[in-house]
Amino acid sequence: MRGLPLSYPVRNVRARLRRTALTIGVIALAVIATSVFLALITSLKHTLVASGSPDNLIVLRKGSDNDGSSMLSLEAFQAVRFLDGIARLPDGTPLVSAEKVMQPFARTRAGGRENVLVRGVDPVALAVHDEVRIAEGRMFRPSSSEIVVGRGIAGRYANADLGAEMFIGKRNWRVVGILESGGSSFESEIWGDLRDVARDANTFPYSGVRMKLAPGTDRQALIDRIDRDPRYALQATPEVEYYAEQAKSAATLYGLLVILAIPVGVAAGFGAANTMFAAVQSRTVEIGTLRALGFSRATILRSFVLESVVISLVGFVVGAIGTLCVAFVLRLALGGIGFGAQTYTINVVTLRVRPTDLAVALVFATAIGLIGGLLPAWRAAHLRPVEALRKA
Amino acid sequence: MRFLPLILRNLGRNKLRTGLTGAAIGLAVLLVCFFLTMPAGIDVFLSQIASNVRVSVHHKGGLVYQMPFAYVNKIRSVPGVVGADGVTWFGGAFEEAGHVTFPSFAVEPEHVGAVWPDYHIDPAALDRFRRFRDGAIVGRQTMEKYGWKIGQEISLRSTIWPVTLTFRIVGEIPNARSPLFWFQREYLAQAMQARNWTLDIVGIVWVRIADPALVDGVMAKLDAMFRNSPAETAAETEKSFFASFFGSLQGFVTIILLVTGLVALCVLFIAANTASMAVRERAREIAVLRAIGFGRRLIFGTLVAESTLLATVAGGSGALLTYAFTAGVKAAAGGWSTQLGPLAGFLVSPAIVGEGMALAVVVGLIAGIAPAYGAAQKPVATILREVF
Repeated sequence: MRGLPLSYPVRNVRARLRRTALTIGVIALAVIATSVFLALITSLKHTLVASGSPDNLIVLRKGSDNDGSSMLSLEAFQAVRFLDGIARLPDGTPLVSAEKVMQPFARTRAGGRENVLVRGVDPVALAVHDEVRIAEGRMFRPSSSEIVVGRGIAGRYANADLGAEMFIGKRNWRVVGILESGGSSFESEIWGDLRDVARDANTFPYSGVRMKLAPGTDRQALIDRIDRDPRYALQATPEVEYYAEQAKSAATLYGLLVILAIPVGVAAGFGAANTMFAAVQSRTVEIGTLRALGFSRATILRSFVLESVVISLVGFVVGAIGTLCVAFVLRLALGGIGFGAQTYTINVVTLRVRPTDLAVALVFATAIGLIGGLLPAWRAAHLRPVEALRKA
Repeated sequence: MRFLPLILRNLGRNKLRTGLTGAAIGLAVLLVCFFLTMPAGIDVFLSQIASNVRVSVHHKGGLVYQMPFAYVNKIRSVPGVVGADGVTWFGGAFEEAGHVTFPSFAVEPEHVGAVWPDYHIDPAALDRFRRFRDGAIVGRQTMEKYGWKIGQEISLRSTIWPVTLTFRIVGEIPNARSPLFWFQREYLAQAMQARNWTLDIVGIVWVRIADPALVDGVMAKLDAMFRNSPAETAAETEKSFFASFFGSLQGFVTIILLVTGLVALCVLFIAANTASMAVRERAREIAVLRAIGFGRRLIFGTLVAESTLLATVAGGSGALLTYAFTAGVKAAAGGWSTQLGPLAGFLVSPAIVGEGMALAVVVGLIAGIAPAYGAAQKPVATILREVF
């Protein structure tokens, strides 16, 4: 006996349009629930982990766990600025960026009030933080109350638009550029002139120092040298380690989401598989008929599973489109998802649906189709045709 | 009630399916309840802990800007002010944890009782707090988290000030949700004095006002008092202070609620499918019941009751299991967190369990209605003919 023609499942879908639409809808829902959740998890992880350059050091006051709470004097900065082993620009300027970090209030577009991270820097900062680039507009000019804002800031805060006057803390600043850093936490920062920011803060001139090592430098030796300087209580940390430590504070949140993703997936998957299961089980009689006509079990199973998987894939496509829409609407409505950073400012997570999130959802949907289709078809195909025919 | 045995028998026919459906509904209701505790944590915090006669006075430009300490006495002199306490962020990290795991502040011990009478701190503890320079009063949440006892000595390394201080716990804030760690401002001032630094600034002044009706007037007066000074202030009620503190979590809450909604929808489909499968399988039997004279209403009623019973029992157990589940999550992750604030309170309230149960009942009803209606309305002859 030949196999079932391909037109068989196609016709079936046409004959049971409502039931098929329902199944597709439920699978799409399950796909949206899981992939929005996954996208949240991966976007969060990306923001936290991607920050920092491997050949950079951050120098803070001993005991501070982030540059928002650290304070350094002018002397301390001068003491580390000309150490051996630091990379230099062709004109001899060391790649050392003294920075002042402040957390003043800014208004969100939604009307709320949040602490934002303002980083006062000198132009050399762009050479030290090599992942940061000005995506739109230009870099600020010194001592002119100009700022550049991160991509995440631009979507979230009132007047954080190119050319606008943005009120931060005590006064207005002119936004002249938008900075990007591949999604890392610098995109949740505002950069302004070091002296402007320090004057505004009215405390110690610097919070911390970032430096880029020359190739071939013994990193540990330099760290030891900075840490052991008896005049200033300083501590140097590789920048990547520093951000990994910052990320740890969000580990609770991250771990919680990961734990919850499992039951969300199970609940959604069970709902979808159940629907598929019911759709196939309701055709037990039909399977009995096919068997009575002489089609082999393998042929019938192949046709039914193929149909279920194709329906699941359609459900996946609908769900994937839905997920992208949901992510788009959320981005637009919320201006990014904020969560507290260790600096007591807001890290803006832009909800991005990455191909990997959708790939997981694809596997998920296929599994639903396979299990939801195979089990009932298997059972029906293994009944004696007479019994299957009697089932209604 | 007479038909309860019939309903139970019907549920017991396909035990595997009933069990799986029940488990799925229970799991989903559990999840929904758990997610709901997160936004509810904010509401509980704002309504129970934050007071509307306590006002925070801080720098207008942000909490990071400090105010002159002299402001505190000026504030106390304003009519309508019952008490004012200047608090300064210490950012103390307990060495075992390595980073800041609870909020620690330097406060003025003699004014704590006047500003926070609603914390119900033992008067004897407050007395000790005033007398011992190194005394500390700690919220019960933090006490329990680290198993601290009154009388114990604790060292905190400040992440802001260049000092590590050793404190003796002299009392607790008897509230299981309070993570606070308070110690004497004078202790910090002396430690800084030893480093040639005079502590003459303050971060936030908490002010208690005599009467809710006076609050707006006093707030306006306070801000007017410091207008055009180097540190202009913004006064706001404790509720509004924390509401804007937690406002940034809105996006997170939205996503949690969205996922909750989707999960709830999935449960609905699970229940609806099970109900319709049950009806389809029993189509002939139902037709026979109808043919021998059982009424449409009765058929409809027993079928809806069947799906509602299953959803209610399963969903109810799920809702009750939320208590155990949140206790587990709390043990693993809970406590004060910079990221989640009160979202991480995971406080299961009877209201949330009620909402979970209501969801289960509604799901059961909706799921049962469509197939039951179909079974009850279709002419008997048609059904019997459909069944070959």
